[in-house]
Amino acid sequence: MATKFMLFFLCFALSIVTVKAQKAYVTRNGQISFVATNDDDVSAVNNEVASRITTNGDITFSLLIKSFFFQYAEMQDHFNSDYLQSNTYPRSDFKGKITNIQNINFSKNGVYPATVQGNLTLHGVTKPITVNGTIEVQGTKIIAKAKFTLQLSDFNIHADRVAKKVAIQFNCTYQ
Amino acid sequence: MKKTLKYFLIALLVVAIVATGFVIYVYNKPHRNVANEKAVTLTAEQLYQAFKDNEQHANQLYLDKAIELTGRIAQITTNQQGQTVIDFNTADSLVTINCTFKEAPQNIKVGDSIHFKGICTGYIPDMNVVMNNGILVK
Repeated sequence: MATKFMLFFLCFALSIVTVKAQKAYVTRNGQISFVATNDDDVSAVNNEVASRITTNGDITFSLLIKSFFFQYAEMQDHFNSDYLQSNTYPRSDFKGKITNIQNINFSKNGVYPATVQGNLTLHGVTKPITVNGTIEVQGTKIIAKAKFTLQLSDFNIHADRVAKKVAIQFNCTYQ
Repeated sequence: MKKTLKYFLIALLVVAIVATGFVIYVYNKPHRNVANEKAVTLTAEQLYQAFKDNEQHANQLYLDKAIELTGRIAQITTNQQGQTVIDFNTADSLVTINCTFKEAPQNIKVGDSIHFKGICTGYIPDMNVVMNNGILVK
């Protein structure tokens, strides 16, 4: 009886340790930028990306469309009002999983390749995406980087006169 | 015949001037400067409550608007582009008002009560309300 109780207690204690061991890395000021694949002038950067990565492989990020800063103010206005309708769709969200999380050692410094699968909501449209990038572990902080291309028509964004595809650069430093 | 040509050339010149003017306008239109804008005055807490209670309504009221926020600085950091960022705390320990300055402000420290004037770009639930393009009013 006592042994059983001890065993039960041990299992319970272990499960607490496991839960505790799952750590979340967070940033409120990550960076996502994009450039139109056909025109370098059409580019913008957002330095207010909120994102979380947990050591069990969950990854989320959210950004506000109005936080994209363009070099040209006129372009920024058109982007918000004509193409992204940022008053109606102010935010974009991503929720996904790092599929090869077992290959990433968060307690050992290094650059680890990472594959992320999840759903991106943009302009009111949700689509599954798969992205390859890296996670760099640097002591207590991590840096996630990825480059990928989005076809604007997939998200019901009609900006054909300006761009059909944009190259996205994800670059977030987490604590 | 000569007259027609003359009018044609004048018309062409006018079109060229308008087109050039348009291009110059598009490429040189200045970004917003909150210093010259009339702002709504709110506390950090009021802004957060508005978004928490009804995000859609708060978006209608505050999205893209110049807001002068008052609050106590809870944290000072820099973003990945080197701009100064301060956070105001809210009643919810997980949620802050994240404010990015246009230019680095002088002499601010954690705990100071300040007036931050900037543009509200929206709300990210469980994370923060975002303000940018900011200046220190007092």
